[in-house]
Amino acid sequence: MENEAIEELLQAYAVGDVSEVEAERVEAALDDSPRLREELARYERLFVLLVAAAEEEVKVPRDLRARIVWRVAVTAYLNSAAELAGGLLGAYVRALIYYLRLA
Amino acid sequence: MARVCAGNRRAFSELVWRHQAPVFRICYRVLGNREDAKDAAQESFIRAFKKLDGFEGRSSFKTWLLRLTVNVSLNERTRRKENLPLEDWAPPDFSGDGPEEAAMKAEALARLHKALQALQPNHRAAVVLHDLEGLNFREVGEAVDVAEQTAKSWAYRGRQRLKDLMT
Repeated sequence: MENEAIEELLQAYAVGDVSEVEAERVEAALDDSPRLREELARYERLFVLLVAAAEEEVKVPRDLRARIVWRVAVTAYLNSAAELAGGLLGAYVRALIYYLRLA
Repeated sequence: MARVCAGNRRAFSELVWRHQAPVFRICYRVLGNREDAKDAAQESFIRAFKKLDGFEGRSSFKTWLLRLTVNVSLNERTRRKENLPLEDWAPPDFSGDGPEEAAMKAEALARLHKALQALQPNHRAAVVLHDLEGLNFREVGEAVDVAEQTAKSWAYRGRQRLKDLMT
């Protein structure tokens, strides 16, 4: 049971997100367990990678905004047209919108 | 926001400009490739435009939009369903800044993105939003519509699995 609790604390310990009391518990367990020390080292390597991934630049496609704005304009226009047309023709226009993935 | 809710498309275009970077990043990190991320980001904004009437302002607009984005990305991911195998691999030490270290770092990050795809969707969302996007657990909970503690537990499980896959 204690081992399970320590395992759960290990992640938080690796990023310094534990209280003083919890840190002491983890450190006491680490002193007695090479396996836990290896687990801690693995978490530390993972967090280095996560930090690098968070800092990685993800470039937004240049045309993304234009595409979205265009689709919004088409959606708004076709929905207005469907409302004006009403009834069967409106249903047809809505089906067309769905089929063409315009909205 | 009032102008956007009144159907002002120019105001909506400004919102797209302001939020397209985090929306695209989340789609990319959940889906793992740029083409799918582009489609999902578009779909997220279109849904936002259609659902603006339902935005009640109980959370920030950004959190509301991120919730839509996470849902769209995870649904898209479920639809595609393919999982790429992870070969045996040893984590590199990329503490230096030479070309070799840069190549190893790029490889390690590519592998991390691949490993993220192997996580359960909820766990992946929590790791992406907290560890990569920097949201706190309260914000993650709001974005995925669960309690803060649940969001924390999902991130814990996700990192545990990532640790097994990556290190």
